[in-house]
Amino acid sequence: MSSDVKLPRLGQGMESGTIVKWLKNEGEPVEKGEPLYELDTDKVTQEVEAEASGVLLRIAIREGEVEVGRTIAVIGEAGEDVPSDAGDSDAGDSQETEEAGPTPPATETADDGAEQSAEKPAEAPAREAERRRGREASTEGVSVEPPAEQRAVVESGNGATQGGARIKASPLARRIARERGIDLASLGGTGPEGRIVAEDVERAAAAPAARVTATAPSAVEIRELSSVRRTIARRLTEAWQAPAFQLTISVDMSAAGDLLATIREVEPEVRPTMTDILARLSAAALMRHRDVNAQFADDAIHVFPTANIGIAVAAPNGLVVPVLPECERKTVAEIAAARADVVERARAGKLQHADFEDGTFTISNLGMYGVEQFIAVLNPPQAAILAVGAIEDRVVVKDGEIVARPTMTLTLTCDHRAVDGASGADFLRTLGRFVESPGLAL
Amino acid sequence: MPELSYREAVRDALSQAMRQDDDVFILGEDIAEMGGSMGVTQGMLDEFGPERVRNTPISEMAIVGAGIGAAMQGMRPVVEVMYEDFTTLAMEQIVNQAAKHRYMSGGQLKVPLTIRTQGGAGWSPGAQHAQQLEAWFVHVPGLKVVFASTPSDVRGLLWSSIYDDNPVMFFEHRTLYGIKEDVPEELEPIPLGQARIHREGEDVTVVATGRLVHEAIAAAGEAEAEGVSVEVVDPRTLLPLDEATIVDSVKKTNRCVVAHEAVTRMGFGAEVAAIVQHQAFDYLDAPIERVGSRFVPIPFAPVMEEWVVPHSNDVLAAIRQTVGRSESSNGAGHVE
Repeated sequence: MSSDVKLPRLGQGMESGTIVKWLKNEGEPVEKGEPLYELDTDKVTQEVEAEASGVLLRIAIREGEVEVGRTIAVIGEAGEDVPSDAGDSDAGDSQETEEAGPTPPATETADDGAEQSAEKPAEAPAREAERRRGREASTEGVSVEPPAEQRAVVESGNGATQGGARIKASPLARRIARERGIDLASLGGTGPEGRIVAEDVERAAAAPAARVTATAPSAVEIRELSSVRRTIARRLTEAWQAPAFQLTISVDMSAAGDLLATIREVEPEVRPTMTDILARLSAAALMRHRDVNAQFADDAIHVFPTANIGIAVAAPNGLVVPVLPECERKTVAEIAAARADVVERARAGKLQHADFEDGTFTISNLGMYGVEQFIAVLNPPQAAILAVGAIEDRVVVKDGEIVARPTMTLTLTCDHRAVDGASGADFLRTLGRFVESPGLAL
Repeated sequence: MPELSYREAVRDALSQAMRQDDDVFILGEDIAEMGGSMGVTQGMLDEFGPERVRNTPISEMAIVGAGIGAAMQGMRPVVEVMYEDFTTLAMEQIVNQAAKHRYMSGGQLKVPLTIRTQGGAGWSPGAQHAQQLEAWFVHVPGLKVVFASTPSDVRGLLWSSIYDDNPVMFFEHRTLYGIKEDVPEELEPIPLGQARIHREGEDVTVVATGRLVHEAIAAAGEAEAEGVSVEVVDPRTLLPLDEATIVDSVKKTNRCVVAHEAVTRMGFGAEVAAIVQHQAFDYLDAPIERVGSRFVPIPFAPVMEEWVVPHSNDVLAAIRQTVGRSESSNGAGHVE
């Protein structure tokens, strides 16, 4: 019995997603929980896991935007027949067996499918009889050994679709696969008895070929946009349309530095960073200035009860901003543990949609790169983002004396539609006090 | 263009050759007054006289032997063996004599002999008068083998056979004598070794001979209604064989069916299948299907005969098999 793979709703408000690529080919076995395809939403590109085990019988939608709930693939048993229009219809009625035009094989009626699957169990003994006949034939001087090249295919490919047995493919299909470097083991056959025919190989060859962009002959390297890159571009362009302003303060980091050292001694295994302390102190400041912990939503301003703080992370594919929820309730060590977890997963490309949900404020720290200060672009729909520079010894006047103090510059970018200059400044002043005297956050 | 029946076309080729060339004459059982058991030579005695239209005793060995002797002396005899089943009686002459003299004499002798014969089921002639034995002769170096399926082909090919300096086994099919076709006003010789593409197609090549050419054309029409485009190729000459036309066609369609009325086992289709798999191996997208009679003597009872020999539906089943649309692979029994 086959089951439809439908586009999941990964988060509130998700109406559609963009299928980036399939991680399994048609005909490949799939285990429940194995990554099946890459899905791009406006928050994240993530691998979506299979919800059933079996064979990926059909990919109905190879790529592109799809609304939630639509059938995008079918998982079932090997050899099971799949209606050609599975997934092409609206969600919920994918069992039509309408036959349209001369679409070749694999689209027979339900009867045929039953017959095929009924034949399947008999395959092993039938193969044995075939081998026996082959052995008899070879004693008469007739060679029935497959050509060396075909044996090589059997040995190199894992032959998963055929349960480790020889892959059935026509000579033409083998030639095309050889010429185009396609592994026959990755294909499903639509010919008689599951034989891979030329059409199957051509279909497989056509899919990735469409994505290849010709390299320009000049020295300019043209890099196709990754889906992460595309998302970044779209969202930050959107952010740029918000009327934003910036506020900057410099803070004495002596106390925060001492605090960090103490926490590291107490919690050596989680190894907190200054970002974790800033997240905790920002959360405390946000709770006192809740109009900054907000979003502009066209006809209203949404003010949030908890400080869910996003941390900008440089992942291999580009910037991502996983969210640490309810930082106002967490200890620095708890925040550090949560932050370490999402950063690690961000670098491995394993973040899930949930990791990006419900952020209310973002911290972007480029201090480790020696950046003194910078202006961050809003992370919509959030109303504010904090840009954190490096801690460095600067000459300051303290009690009339010129002294060197570890100093850090914080720059707050605010969405003026939600936050006025005074409220932003008020928040920043509180945050500055907390950083200089963390005890005030109690 | 005149329309001739297959029977008239054979007679026309014989008569024109005999009018043009005194060296051409015909001999066989009951070919003179009776005009041959299939009526092919009717009226020829009146035109050419008993010296050139010769009745013979009932001995195929003697008939063929006389033809070989005359041919080696410079004549171009055309002998008629009433049924191809009876070529068995003349095998020694055909295989050991006719096929060998040119080679064994180092080219000093030649045997420009044409042996016309006919056969085939479809009219209840029984097991001894219905066989299709053309493949036997394709096995013998030194012979040429022709199997014509239409009036224009039979006329042009018989002419070329008469004027070929090698012995030619010339097969006609009993059930084709009545079919008609427009033929060129002037007899146009058809070179031996040149296939005819009856119908062009994209998906499957059917290589058919004799009666099965017509069955294949009918099957192609039905396949087309199912969206399968079929190319029908008649080799016309089985030896020498126009391999290029067949192989090129299969390279285009990637699928091949061979069809003849003879049994498939060791049949001519087996040879075609061997050639195709060897020369077009990397172009094949499906196993080559063979269509032929069931491996039994041809029954006398019409219903059983009908069941044993292949028809257009068997060719269609094979076509469907190659494109993966068949319900089962062993239904018909005509398809191997």
